[in-house]
Amino acid sequence: MAFTATMSEERELAIHPIVQTSVQHNTQVVSNIRNLTASLFGVAAGTLGLESYPGFIFYLVGTLIVSGLIFAFRTEGKPSEYFHRPFGDLWGGDVFSGLSSFVLTWTLFYGLVRA
Amino acid sequence: MAQPVVQTIHRDPALFWWILLPITVVMILTGILRHYAMILLQNAPKKLALPQIRQQRALVRGINLRANANVLSPTSFQARKAYMVSAYQEGKFLADPESRGKPRPNPMSDPATMEGMMGMMKGNMAMMIPQTLIMGWINAFFSGFVIMKLPFPLTPQFKSMLQSGVGTRDLDVRWVSSLSWYFLTLFGLQPVYNFILGSNNSANQVTQQMAMANPGAGLMGPEQDPDKLFLNEAENLEVLEHRWILDGVEDRLVAKLTS
Repeated sequence: MAFTATMSEERELAIHPIVQTSVQHNTQVVSNIRNLTASLFGVAAGTLGLESYPGFIFYLVGTLIVSGLIFAFRTEGKPSEYFHRPFGDLWGGDVFSGLSSFVLTWTLFYGLVRA
Repeated sequence: MAQPVVQTIHRDPALFWWILLPITVVMILTGILRHYAMILLQNAPKKLALPQIRQQRALVRGINLRANANVLSPTSFQARKAYMVSAYQEGKFLADPESRGKPRPNPMSDPATMEGMMGMMKGNMAMMIPQTLIMGWINAFFSGFVIMKLPFPLTPQFKSMLQSGVGTRDLDVRWVSSLSWYFLTLFGLQPVYNFILGSNNSANQVTQQMAMANPGAGLMGPEQDPDKLFLNEAENLEVLEHRWILDGVEDRLVAKLTS
């Protein structure tokens, strides 16, 4: 049998199909967690009085920690069961989607507490 | 070398209660209002006559057959394919078989098209009007106040936008006026709407514009010739490579059980 790589992948998808609704639900759960934590990180960064680069680094570190927590608790260490592409969807995916709400709460609390 | 002087401005705490808070509350309420206005403005899908529905559903049936072909056994797939292809090519499902091959009428004269364009207009209006109103309101009421300091530095190009109405040339760009708080809330409130209204809300303009970019979701727009669509679908069915999912299932089962 002369299967190319894409052919066997297609076959694999036909045998184990991916259900769109479940995928959407999983993405929704992850993005809810991300949005909520991004706002909370903004509150923390504003209260700590972080400015410019330390603030953004704080956000990045925070999202990495949240990714780790999702990996450990929500997917129970097996992200490939919940995501089609575990790396892109869980670790890399929408790191920056929460950035705008982070900036919003960061600015608000920085303005209230410090300046 | 001396440290650069950090500009500080002592602001009245009342600025928070009378500018920051009202803008935030108004923005959240506008989002909620826009969500419900969009729901109200959505008109129910128009009732179609029976032949039209048949024409539409026949096309959907062909697409579904193509998408789910793998779960059918070869014989039943061949039977379905033969039936669908011949019916498509004869134009059995067409709503009015007489007009086959004739050029389509001008889409602007079709009332259904006008209806669709009106719907898009309404959506655009529901976005534009509150935005313009709120910007006008902020400019009229709150211009000229320096209300907050951004926690990150910006380039001086932003000065004219973020410090509009503040007439000091040498003020650091990080001190911004009320209009910039409006922009921050405009982009950052989406999670708030998500928690208030559920995830499928239409409160934010940004997501609205994303949805607007892809209006051609309808399978059979009035501007498309159904006969051409049918012939196209028949061709797609003809060239489809059919693989039954149960081919070699015994080997897979044995391999799974032995591993």
